[in-house]
Amino acid sequence: MERELLQQAEQAVEQARRAGANNAIARVRDENSTEYTYRDGNIEQVQQSATRGLSIQLYVNGRYSTHQTSDLRAASVARFIEDAVALTQHLAEDPHRIIPDSALYANRPDTDLQSDDALVRDLPREACIEWLKKMDAVTHTDDRVVSATADVYYGWNTSARVSSNGFSGIQNGTSIGYGASVTLKEGEHGRPEDHRYVRAHHLSDLPDPETVAREGLDRAISRLGSEKAPSGRATMVVDPEAGGRLIGAIWGALQAHSIQQNRSFLADKKDAQIASSLLTVTDDPLMVRGLASRHYDGEGISAKRRCVVDQGVLQMYYVDTYYGRKLGWEPTTGTSSNLVFAPGDKDLNGLIAEIKDGFHVTSWLGGNADTTTGDFSYGFRGFRIANGRKMGAVSEMNIAGNFLDLLQNLVAVGNDPNVYSSLQSPTLVFDNVAFSGK
Amino acid sequence: MHTLETHPFATLFGIDESVVAQALSEAMSRGAEFADLYFQHVRTTSLSLEDGIISRASTGVDQGVGIRAVIGDQVGYAFSESLEADAIYVAARTAAAIAEGTKNVPPQHLQGRDVDNYYAIDRGWDEVNITERLPLVQSAETMTRAMDPSIEKVSVGWMDRDERVLIVTSDGVFSTDRRPMATLYCSVTANKNGVRQSNGASVSRREGIDYFTEENIREVCHKAVDRTMILFEAQRPPAGEMPVVLAAGASGILLHEAIGHGLEADFNRKGTSIYATMMNEKVAPDFVTIVDDGLQENDRGALNIDDEGQATSCTTLIENGVLKSYLHDRISAKHYGVSPTGSGRRESFRHVPMPRMRSTYMLDGPHSRDEIIRAVDYGIIADTFTNGQVQIGAGDFTFYIKNGWLIEGGEITAPIKDVNIIGNGPEALKNVVMAAGDAVLDDGSWTCGKNGQGVPVSMGVPTMLVEKSMTVGGVN
Repeated sequence: MERELLQQAEQAVEQARRAGANNAIARVRDENSTEYTYRDGNIEQVQQSATRGLSIQLYVNGRYSTHQTSDLRAASVARFIEDAVALTQHLAEDPHRIIPDSALYANRPDTDLQSDDALVRDLPREACIEWLKKMDAVTHTDDRVVSATADVYYGWNTSARVSSNGFSGIQNGTSIGYGASVTLKEGEHGRPEDHRYVRAHHLSDLPDPETVAREGLDRAISRLGSEKAPSGRATMVVDPEAGGRLIGAIWGALQAHSIQQNRSFLADKKDAQIASSLLTVTDDPLMVRGLASRHYDGEGISAKRRCVVDQGVLQMYYVDTYYGRKLGWEPTTGTSSNLVFAPGDKDLNGLIAEIKDGFHVTSWLGGNADTTTGDFSYGFRGFRIANGRKMGAVSEMNIAGNFLDLLQNLVAVGNDPNVYSSLQSPTLVFDNVAFSGK
Repeated sequence: MHTLETHPFATLFGIDESVVAQALSEAMSRGAEFADLYFQHVRTTSLSLEDGIISRASTGVDQGVGIRAVIGDQVGYAFSESLEADAIYVAARTAAAIAEGTKNVPPQHLQGRDVDNYYAIDRGWDEVNITERLPLVQSAETMTRAMDPSIEKVSVGWMDRDERVLIVTSDGVFSTDRRPMATLYCSVTANKNGVRQSNGASVSRREGIDYFTEENIREVCHKAVDRTMILFEAQRPPAGEMPVVLAAGASGILLHEAIGHGLEADFNRKGTSIYATMMNEKVAPDFVTIVDDGLQENDRGALNIDDEGQATSCTTLIENGVLKSYLHDRISAKHYGVSPTGSGRRESFRHVPMPRMRSTYMLDGPHSRDEIIRAVDYGIIADTFTNGQVQIGAGDFTFYIKNGWLIEGGEITAPIKDVNIIGNGPEALKNVVMAAGDAVLDDGSWTCGKNGQGVPVSMGVPTMLVEKSMTVGGVN
C-alpha cells in the first residue's frame, strides 16, 4: 500500500513537470473507517468508508495553484493535471510563492511515534457490537432517560507526500473512539442532554466503554434543574475538555497568515508577556501516541519541539513558507501539533476547592472571537461554584472580554491535561471574568 | 418520463440500467425494505486574492456513489469513489449487511421523474473559463480599496460549484438535478490611528456568472467596508437579559437555531427534541408564521429535489403561532405516516441523508419597524451575524452578533460589536411580541452543520422584537 501511494504521488509530480510546472508537490491519501451507531437497544446505523484522493500543488512560472481529485483513473489524473497546469498559466505572478526550501526537509526525525495500533486495524465487528451493547445498557440504568445513543468509530489512514525538490515521505496511523450521548426527560417538554466521547490512536489508551458511558449518563443527570445565574464578575474554571476551544481561538492569532494580513491581536507581541507567568506551552509533534504527532508538517518541514509560550512570554509564531516570505521571516511550521501545558499541582476538583465565587465551564455553546482585536463572547454550560463547592448546573449564560486581559488573569493551571485531544488543555482558572445571565 | 439509458448523466457516471438494477438488488439482498443509490459529480473552482494579487487558485473534482439500505429506522451505508460496476456492487453488499436475512429482489424497470427547475442558468460553471472569473475577483478588490483611505488589507474569495446528482430508489424511480452555486466574499482590515478592525461580507446563490454584475459585486464590497468602519465606534453592550430587536434579513439565524433544528423530525422521532411533545400546540403569537422553503428561485437554500430524490416543497413549520409540521426525510415520514417534505439532505455521496433545513424564514407581521424600535426602552438591535448553535433537547440556542446597535428610549443610539446571545427556543418564541412587514431573505454564505455534515442554507425574518428573555453576552 505505502509503495503504491508513493508511486502515485511520484507519478503525479512527474506528470506536472512534463505538463510545464517548474515545481510540484503531490499528496495521495488513503483512508478507511467504520462507524456504528446504537440507539435504545438496536443498531441504528453502520457506515463504512474507504476513500482515496490526490491533491497537488503547482508552481508554474511564478504562479501557484492547488487541486484535488477523487477520480484516480490513470487517464483522468493525466488530463486533470494537464488542465490544472494550463489554468495556472492564466493567474498573476506572485513573487512570494516558491516551493519550500529543501534544507527544511533535512534532519527529519525517525522516532517511533506509535501512531498505529494493529488491534484497531483488525477490530472485529463482534467486539464493537459488544461495546455498544454495554454502553447502551449503562446509559439505560436511569428511568429518566428518553433516548441514549452509543457510537464506536475506528479507522486508519496512510498518506504519501512527494515534492519535485526532493521530499518524499509516508505517514500513517489508526484512530479509535467511542462514547455515548444521553437525553433525559425533565418537566413537560425539557430534554436535558450530555455526552462523553473519547478517542486515541491505540485501543489500550482508552478507558473501558462502560466507564465512558457512565460518565455520559452522569453528565446528563447533572444537567437536571439547570438555571440561569445573575450577571457579574467572577472566577472562571475552564474544564480540560473546554480549554481547547479557547486555546484554539488564541492560537489562530499566532499564524503568520493572520499577522501578515493585519488580523492578529498578538502581532508585535513576540518576547512580550502576553499571559500570566503560569502559562507555559510547548508545541510537541514528537509526543509518543499524541493525536497530532508527526515527523514532518504539511509543507514537509521536519518536526521539532518548540516552546510557544514560556512563563507567559510569547516565544514564536507559526510561520509557513509563503507568509514567511511576505513578512521576511524564516519558516517555523505553519500548523500546530500537540500543545502541552506545564502543569500546576492540583486537578479540577482541587482547584474548585480554592474558589469562593465562580463558575465551572464544562462546555461552550456558540460564541466567537475577533482575531484582530482579541474580543470574544461565548455561551457556556457548567456549574456554579460557591465557597469551594460545586453547586447547581447553570445554562443560558455567556462570558465576554478580550483575550489579552483574560490571559493576564490566568491564576491557576491544573495537572490534568485532556489527553483525548491534541490541544491538551488542563484545567485553567481565570479571575475577574464578565459573566452574563439574568 | 424518460429512461436512464438516454439520460446524459448515465454517460457522465458511466453506468447503465443493468448496473443500477444489480446494485439495488445487492443492497436489498439481506432483507432491506428500501435502498437508494446517490451518484454525485462535483467540480469546484476557488480563487483567493490577497495584497492585490490572486495568490492562489484551486480546482477540485469529486465523484462517487453512496449506497443506503434501510430496514425500519436502521440504516446501512457505504460508498465508492470508483464507479466501476464491481466497486459499486461491493459497496452495495456492505450497505446490505445492516439487515441479517436473505431476500431475492428482481431488478425493476426505472422511470425518470421530471421536476421543476428553481435555478435555471444560461451557462453552467463547467462551461466558464478561468479568465472570465479572474476580472470579477480583481474588480471586487479595486472597488473595495477605493471606498475608504483607512483600508490596509482587502482579501477576496471566490468559489463556484457545478454539481450533478442522479438518485435511484428501489421503488423504481430515478431523479436528477444539476445544482450551481457561486460565492463571493470580501474581507477588510482598516487602521485608524493605530487601531485595527476587520470584518467582511459575502453573497452566495445558485446563480451563473451573469449574476456577478458590477452592481452586485459592489454591494458585497460596500457591506464589508461599512461593517468594518462602524467597528471603530462600536462598544461592547452591557451584560444580562434585555429586549432584542432582530433586524430584517440575517437575523433569521434565530429561527434556524431556536426552532428549525428542533423541528427536524429525526430528533423528534427519537424523542430528543424539546419540540417532540408540542405538535399542534400554540407556541407563538398569532402573527408568527414560519416556513422552511426549498422553492426560492436561485436562493442558496433552493433545491429541485432533495438528496433522497423527493421533489422539494415549502413546509409550514409554524402557522399563526401553532406548531404544524416537522421537516422530514423518508425514514421519519414513514415513521410518522406523513408525506415527505423534501428535506432529506446530505453533504455528499460519502454521507447519509437526514432531515435538514433549506431557506428558513418568517412571514411579514403586522407592525412597522419604527413602532418596534420605539417600543424598546433599553435594549439592542442585532444586524450582522457570524454563527450560531443549539442544544436540541434543552432548547438552548445561541447566535453571535458581529454588528448591532443599542436602543435607548425608543431610539437607536451607539453601535455595538462581538456579542453572543443565548436563549431558549420555546421561551424566545413566546416572547416574540412584534414583527414588521419588511421580511427579507439573507443571501450570505450560510452553511448549516449537523452530525459533521455541512449543507448550504439561507434564512430571513422581518424586523422583530423578542421581549426580555434572552441573555446578551456583554460586559458590565
